[in-house]
Amino acid sequence: MKKLFFKTILYTILILLALEVLIRVLHLTKDYPSRYIDEFGVEKWVPNQKGMSVTGIRRQNFSEYKINNSGYNSYREFVPTYDKTEIALVGDSFIEGFHQHYYNAIGKKIESKLTDVEVYEFGYAGYDLADQLHLIHAYKSMFNKIDHVILGLKFENDLTRGEYNIIQDRIHLESPLYKNIRKIKLIVHAQNSGVFDPILNIIGSISTFLKPKIKTYTKEKTKEEIKNMHLAYIENFKSLIEKYGFDKQRFVLLIDTSITPQIFIEHLEENNYKYIDFYDALNTSKTPTTLIYDRHWNNHGRHLIANLIVKYYSNIIK
Amino acid sequence: MVFNSLEFFLFLSIVFTLYWSVFKKNLKAQNLLLLFASYLFYGWWDWRFLSLILLSTTVDYFVGLKIFANEKKSTRKMWLWVSVLFNVGLLGFFKYFNFFVDSWVDMFSMLGYEMKSTWTLRVILPVGISFYTFQTMSYSFDLYYKKLEQPTKDFLSFAAFVSFFPQLVAGPIERASNLLSQITNKREFSYNQSVSGLKLILWGLFKKVVIADSLGPIVDDIFANYSTYPASTLILGVTLFSFQVYGDFSGYSDIAIGTAKLFGIELMSNFKFPNFSRNVAEYWQRWHVSLSTWFRHYVYIPLGGSRVSKLKSVRNIIIIFLVSGFWHGANWTFVFWGAFHALAFIPVFLMGRNTIYKNSVVGENTIFPSLKEIGQVVLTFGIVTFSRIFFRSESITDAFAFIRGITNNFTYEVYHHPMGYRMIDYYILLALFVLYEYIIRKDERSPFKFKSKMVRFIIYTLVILLMLLFYDDNVDRSFIYFQF
Repeated sequence: MKKLFFKTILYTILILLALEVLIRVLHLTKDYPSRYIDEFGVEKWVPNQKGMSVTGIRRQNFSEYKINNSGYNSYREFVPTYDKTEIALVGDSFIEGFHQHYYNAIGKKIESKLTDVEVYEFGYAGYDLADQLHLIHAYKSMFNKIDHVILGLKFENDLTRGEYNIIQDRIHLESPLYKNIRKIKLIVHAQNSGVFDPILNIIGSISTFLKPKIKTYTKEKTKEEIKNMHLAYIENFKSLIEKYGFDKQRFVLLIDTSITPQIFIEHLEENNYKYIDFYDALNTSKTPTTLIYDRHWNNHGRHLIANLIVKYYSNIIK
Repeated sequence: MVFNSLEFFLFLSIVFTLYWSVFKKNLKAQNLLLLFASYLFYGWWDWRFLSLILLSTTVDYFVGLKIFANEKKSTRKMWLWVSVLFNVGLLGFFKYFNFFVDSWVDMFSMLGYEMKSTWTLRVILPVGISFYTFQTMSYSFDLYYKKLEQPTKDFLSFAAFVSFFPQLVAGPIERASNLLSQITNKREFSYNQSVSGLKLILWGLFKKVVIADSLGPIVDDIFANYSTYPASTLILGVTLFSFQVYGDFSGYSDIAIGTAKLFGIELMSNFKFPNFSRNVAEYWQRWHVSLSTWFRHYVYIPLGGSRVSKLKSVRNIIIIFLVSGFWHGANWTFVFWGAFHALAFIPVFLMGRNTIYKNSVVGENTIFPSLKEIGQVVLTFGIVTFSRIFFRSESITDAFAFIRGITNNFTYEVYHHPMGYRMIDYYILLALFVLYEYIIRKDERSPFKFKSKMVRFIIYTLVILLMLLFYDDNVDRSFIYFQF
């Protein structure tokens, strides 16, 4: 019995070590770049890191990322000057582009079609409009040198707050415990594939059992509630612009009008905010524009977005 | 509580530790622990159905004593009938009642008489009822046919035999002469037996998690939308289902046999690489062996088996295949499935080729199979896979529509996974699985029988890695045979 116990433990340890090696060698799971809050209170990636981004438990999508000196995923450094023409893409994970090789990003695609233009991608997963405008505000001197700025905006997600503040939940991911756990690739892979879910479910069931029961109701929002929510989001939009500024000459919003309420589009048009609508470009495409295992744009989707931006600027940038 | 769950892992660890520590020295205490653990395991699904197991156990315990106590054949037979009627009655009520009522109504409506099915009951099918009722009946049969020298007077041991948790809900269906004698005798801890058990559990989990569960969503998609797919996809769907059901059920059996080994108990083999069968008769010597053995001993042989005229033997074959089909489920699809196998088996029987492969495996003395063997294996697999259309379809109408879809729309189209995964992963996986099973084909109880420790270690690691790569928490993890 003791022999069985001892050998089971020994084999378990050896197999776990072998699995860790295999997962690392075969790049079966993603690397987590470190994030931090810089001296301007902007949340971004720690500069100069490289790693692999992997989607799906069987490495269905695999790409390399490179965080530049400014803390964003890009093949180039961001050094704007008044002499050159620059375009900044500011947005969330779609702009950040961990799902593509950093050398094959939207920015690079635009640069290959617009001569003598540098494209800077200020993309960071989870950035909403508050993050974006605060970033531009905080790095005013840098952004003042950039000729054109495109801000990705998804109405439902990106206007939930009217003021920027640091999201502590994301920063907690940088605690020593989380960071050390993420160093063990086997744990990362097992977590991504849902192996720990049964354990978490049991813990959840026990804690629910021990805590007093609170009845929760989920009901669909009424039309009136939805309208009120949209109005609140528009108020947030106004508040953010008032706080951090918005250069209507240089700034353009990148939106999908099919998922943007008409009331907001009317507000943009009435107040002369410029926007690029990518709905038609993506939805009329016969080939898929998103990854199979992920809602982010695939190479074709990025290509279409780049074309759209090139088309928009081709008459402006000579 | 299913084998491939965290609950079962914790449950097994606790019961195993108690069994070989606190309860080690006392056989009665060990059996009491087994009984308690088995009832807890079963009650995890629905504790109300424990009463059925207890009832079935009590009836057969006393029937066994009565059969043994009486020398008169007619009295013994009468008691045997009590056991059969009680157990078949339980099955009939819980599993077949609605089927018979509905079939009766359908038959009348075909004749032009419209009837309302007011008799249909909302009865839940108790998990494993087809398995434990057959196991308790085997005890009465063995006593009746004197295969068992005497009945046990120890009710506790008998109850532990009926409800032994590793094989309670999906077999192998054990005969009392094998399992009861082990339960009534002292067990000693054996390191080798436990290690062998753990290896079987690992292999069974691999077959369940990697083969069966990962193919499930594809099969479900193809069978649910068969009318929209071309022949190539339908053939793919039923072929994958063949692997799914094999991985699911043989995986369960391996875990059951492995778990029993941890408690010092040897269960019979239930699957002996049926995918390498060279004819349908060999297939039935390798697929769900415990059920085939049960029907052979308690139905086929009492009917005269093959020792009667050819005509009667053919009749007996048809009967056992129809009964076996019906045993699987209260649906005409299973009856058709059984009938199809009878039709495939009879020519083999009439040519006298039904036992020629009984004691050999494909590629018996060679590394590679001969071309003839490959042809035989592919043909048998094709026949068995075709029959799976009936096994998997919701109704006879669906089954025939599925077949028409293959014959009428004989075109090829690339199939895409319903969740978008790469299909090539599954094709490679299945090719490697078939290759590995071919390598280990001579011993179904030793899936990792390699001399080199290093080779064994690499295979354990790869097996677990594949489980990680193909694990999907969103799929239904219950076993297909639980529904039977």
